[in-house]
Amino acid sequence: MASPHHSGLVRDTERHWQQLARQRRLYTGLGLVLLMVALFGSLWFANETNAGKFFDRLPHFFDFFGDMIPRDGWEIWRAMFDLESPYADGSLKYDYPEGRVWLTDSLYMPEYVFKMIETINIAIVATLIGFTFGFLFCFLAASNLTTRRWLRGLVRRILEILRAFPEIVIAGFFAAILSLGPVPAIIAVAIHTIGALGKMFFEVVENADMKPDEGLRATGGNWVERVRFGMVPQVLPNFLSYTLLRLEINVRASTIIGAVGGGGIGEALRLSISRGHEAKTIAIILLLLTTVIAVDQLSAWLRKRVSGEQAFANPRGAPA
Amino acid sequence: MLELTDVTRRFGANTAVDAVTLSIPEGQMVGVIGRSGAGKSTLLRMINRLTSPSGGEIRFKGKTVSGLSGPALRTWQRDCAMIFQQFNLVPRLDVLTNVLLGRLNHRSTVLNILNVFTVQERANAIAALERLGIAQTALQMAGTLSGGQQQRVAIARALMQSPSMILADEPIASLDPLNAQIVMDALKDINRREGITVLTNLHTLDTARAYCERVIGMAAGKVVFDGPPDELTSETVRMIYGASDDGAEISESITSTSISTPRPVVPVKSQSTGPLQPALRVQPAASGVALPA
Repeated sequence: MASPHHSGLVRDTERHWQQLARQRRLYTGLGLVLLMVALFGSLWFANETNAGKFFDRLPHFFDFFGDMIPRDGWEIWRAMFDLESPYADGSLKYDYPEGRVWLTDSLYMPEYVFKMIETINIAIVATLIGFTFGFLFCFLAASNLTTRRWLRGLVRRILEILRAFPEIVIAGFFAAILSLGPVPAIIAVAIHTIGALGKMFFEVVENADMKPDEGLRATGGNWVERVRFGMVPQVLPNFLSYTLLRLEINVRASTIIGAVGGGGIGEALRLSISRGHEAKTIAIILLLLTTVIAVDQLSAWLRKRVSGEQAFANPRGAPA
Repeated sequence: MLELTDVTRRFGANTAVDAVTLSIPEGQMVGVIGRSGAGKSTLLRMINRLTSPSGGEIRFKGKTVSGLSGPALRTWQRDCAMIFQQFNLVPRLDVLTNVLLGRLNHRSTVLNILNVFTVQERANAIAALERLGIAQTALQMAGTLSGGQQQRVAIARALMQSPSMILADEPIASLDPLNAQIVMDALKDINRREGITVLTNLHTLDTARAYCERVIGMAAGKVVFDGPPDELTSETVRMIYGASDDGAEISESITSTSISTPRPVVPVKSQSTGPLQPALRVQPAASGVALPA
């Protein structure tokens, strides 16, 4: 198509384009080489500092799983539901019925189910606290709502500090002060959640449509009223979605914290692994797996409903 | 009486509004026309104080509003309602709540936050919606309404503010001709019956001619025309909009959004705008349509 009239321009542009493309390919190639060198270098370093044991020890990888096989398959279910074991010899290993939590004279809840509920409770309470404070903080941290730079900076720094420490570190700290149990676990997970949700929330707020806010400003509404009516209805579906996602994460986090003394199922798991109670360990792992999958599915379903509702609410609304 | 003295707004090196001096007596219906970027929106936003002037003074009934801040500023914003091109409603709240939000500045913040409104306030809101012919949408989400309906909700919200004045920033620019007429008729009706000053930005000349008793033409931030629409000759129009290169006339029929091309000062015969419209038709003489409080 290049007519002779502008063939000069076409040729120049083509040449320049080729030149840029060559340059881009060169940089991509160099980048890949560097990445490979860094990867192999660090793997080699890790193996060396491990006294070169990685490949020597590899065949023993499955020994651990071998040690976890119980005496018979039914032991797992007996451990999970606190039934009498035929091997009962008075030792801790087969004392399944000891853990029963009696609800009435004849009805009991198996020990590990009870512990699992305790862990989920820790997660839920911590998520609620995190949502409440994250919600209160996020509007002060959003640049489209808070024009005072110092206030915004202060709130953002606070949120950063709150999420800077992993839950397990905060849990260790509070367990030292408040002794073991679910309370330090709740505090630890909640503190991290405030920081994490607060950041996600204020990013949602900063992406929100400011037209409703402007409309309310023009009616003489004050800051709190503008946030309440101009912002909250708009961001709430996203907030709920992030909170549910956080609940999933917190169920796993409170399990881990249990292992360092935060109560719940994590504590039971650590004890049974260290005491070598195969059936109990497998029962707990199965229970954990089921719960985590169930919580994930439930929250995915709920989030879909929440965001579906959001997609529904704005069909003809604010023109793009 | 709204008085602007040397009102100026600069954005960096740009001067959007350049030493505008105006005085608008109470009860006037004024149209502001001009090209995009002429400073019309900035002028209106400065009056409502969504934007603060860089210089000059705005006074209303002898009170300086250009320097207000805090609660006094919000009270002024309540008294000087504003309507936007994009409606600026809360799309995820129902229409009734959106209208009730016009009362925000009349009530305590605590009651507002809890969303507690009295039966009387709700009745007033429904009456305002009824006056605009959209009472049947009261419980729908505002975001699900058509553009014309949303703009009428915005007008109902403005009425709930019990304003002394209504500013409208391109109220019909995103509406089809029929809805544009309904909205302009509603503004004219409010101006006539309540005697509320209406100051509206328009980008179609014929709308300004048909509805406004006074037209202000702006170009490059300055007022270049101020007078009754009759005095808008093709020469003044060229001055406001800038002549095209070949000096051709600006044809009003090209930009016109009116339904019938001959421009009636007051819509002569009410064309059917749906079954629920008669309440907002301008009927100067009789008509016993009750006004909501």
